[in-house]
Amino acid sequence: MEKVLEILGLRVYYELPQGTVKAVDGVDLDVFKGEILGIAGESGSGKSTLALTIAGLLRPPAKVISGKVLFRGIDILRLSNDELRSIRGRKIGIIFQDPVTYLNPIYTVGFQVGEVFEAHRGGKILKYLNEVINLFKAVKIGDPERRVYSYPHQLSGGMKQRVLISMAIAEKPELIVADEPTSALDVTIQAEIVELLNEIRKELNTSIVFITHDLALLLEIADRIAVMYAGKLVEVGKTYEIYKDPLHPYTKALISVLRYERKRRPTPIKGSIPSLINPPPGCRFHPRCPYVLPKCSQVDPKLVNVNGRYVSCLLVGGSDGGGS
Amino acid sequence: MTLVRYLVRRVYHSIPTLVGALLFIFILVRVLPGDPARLIAGPEALEEDVQRIREQLGLNKPIHTQFIDYVTAVLKGDFGRSIKFGTPVINEILFRLPYTIILALVAEAIAIAIALPLGIISALRPKSKTSYIASVISLIGASTPVFWIALILIYIFSVSLKLLPSSGADSPRHIILPAITLSLVLMGNLTRITRSSVIEVLSSNHVLTALAKGLKDRIVITRHVLKNALIPIITIMGLQVGNLLGGAVITETVFAWPGIGSLLIDAIFFRDYVLVQGIILFMVLVFIIVNIVVDVIYAYVDPRIRDVLWRMS
Ligand SMILES: Nc1ncnc2c1ncn2[C@@H]1O[C@H](COP(=O)(O)OP(=O)(O)OP(=O)(O)O)[C@@H](O)[C@H]1O
Ligand code: SF4
Ligand SMILES: [Mg+2]
Repeated sequence: MEKVLEILGLRVYYELPQGTVKAVDGVDLDVFKGEILGIAGESGSGKSTLALTIAGLLRPPAKVISGKVLFRGIDILRLSNDELRSIRGRKIGIIFQDPVTYLNPIYTVGFQVGEVFEAHRGGKILKYLNEVINLFKAVKIGDPERRVYSYPHQLSGGMKQRVLISMAIAEKPELIVADEPTSALDVTIQAEIVELLNEIRKELNTSIVFITHDLALLLEIADRIAVMYAGKLVEVGKTYEIYKDPLHPYTKALISVLRYERKRRPTPIKGSIPSLINPPPGCRFHPRCPYVLPKCSQVDPKLVNVNGRYVSCLLVGGSDGGGS
Repeated sequence: MTLVRYLVRRVYHSIPTLVGALLFIFILVRVLPGDPARLIAGPEALEEDVQRIREQLGLNKPIHTQFIDYVTAVLKGDFGRSIKFGTPVINEILFRLPYTIILALVAEAIAIAIALPLGIISALRPKSKTSYIASVISLIGASTPVFWIALILIYIFSVSLKLLPSSGADSPRHIILPAITLSLVLMGNLTRITRSSVIEVLSSNHVLTALAKGLKDRIVITRHVLKNALIPIITIMGLQVGNLLGGAVITETVFAWPGIGSLLIDAIFFRDYVLVQGIILFMVLVFIIVNIVVDVIYAYVDPRIRDVLWRMS
């Protein structure tokens, strides 16, 4: 399969006065053409940091410590500001979680969407009015001819999210990173937005990295799922395989919570996500892992291929962290 | 049309404020120590002369009648006659007003010309020399009393260097020292507000969206940072100008600048209560008008506020 994105050994830290937050700490991940890759993880596991890195939008105090992010073979971490700018919004689009704060309150939404064309094709924004109206139609914003003149505060949350989506797809990018695009919306609107993203994927053959803490949602739309825990990936595989047979103890716990929820008996995982300033030694999940072994607090398991699935656990695939 | 409707409504809603202010001024002036009638009559006047003057001024009438007379007169546009000058108060104010306006505008213009770039650059490049200068200016503006700044400037430029006049308003050069004094005070505040406002907008999420579109940094800064950051800055500028139009009392007095501020001081020393009343009322009016103007500018920049304001009218 054709790779659109290839992340290799990526580490992104936040250097703060109180310590270094290891938000993304050794991530390897591929994104294939036309797929929806889901990234699931608890709050604070580093999902947004990963999303911003892929979109080339990291800002201080974030710092790339090591690794590569190859987009079509080009390492976007090593591009100049100008080169990066020509990719942002044109080749890679991003959709953020909170449609309220991600739009500028003092410009009309039509103007803000038109800016994408202005940035990459030049000329006056007004010139692109028809394109913007067509985009609004594509993302199913009713009455687009009038809506382009609306200000963000005049639109509902779902409508604003559609505006942000129309921005991300304006230049038909090859990759869209959606960072919790539905978390701030009502359930019914959530479903519509998910459906819309799915349609866009089919129509443009775009790859979508869909980030959420809601694994159940990913089971419905993702082709593959990557599970993130405390700055690392613990398991990556095809959605139905992960659902049917989760291999990593953390994934097992998440899936069992989902199954129990269906029987209305939720049993959440004990404990909470560790500090990313001082993560636990060895396997980061060991303080919460029901299968923990003595060596788990000493050896940091590597992500290894187990019959096409990637898992990082000392119990699985004979991985002993020595890189076997 | 919505704007006109809005203005009419705002003026209408200012009436209670105005009446409250009138009552406050009226009481304040009457509880101040000193008898205006005796003051006008002079120290050696006979008791009957004092009594006569008191009757002329209406001071012998019951207090509520005096208040009603006062309000009626004000509504007719009659601010009374100055006790000291014998001329209509409104004339005294209008005569001094141009001096105050020009001083206010020049001082605010100097402050804006320096504080805005300084605040913006120090927000964008927090480790630069400019940022350091900005901190020093904010500190001076915030911590030094205005008369102290005035005295230092007079000492340097008038006494030592003999470059600039230190009192009066006889030539355009006379405005330089008072304007710089005032602008230094304004600048401190304005630099600080500008810097913090720009920093706040810089870290806001919509700036990330603007970057994600692939817009040039220059456009992101001007369009999505500075214009948003302007909103709180406009408020501060409006309030500053409003304050100054009421007369910069200390600066005008130190530099013998013949504006509203020094007129007020004269009026207070002379117990010219009619004039004091008139000036304070004028200040209240200026304050109300400036507030309306600031809100309109605000609405022009921020569509959220525009919607709320226009819808209410
Ligand atoms: N700008 C920042 N400055 C400092 N620390 C940050 C910053 N952004 C994120 N972090 C820290 O990095 C870690 C990972 O945060 P990140 O936002 O990537 O997680 P997330 O999985 O997206 O969480 P959420 O589900 O809450 O969005 C957290 O510990 C967070 O506190
Ligand atoms: S490595 Fe050990 S602690 Fe970590 S998930 Fe596997 S069994 Fe649990
Ligand atoms: Mg996040």
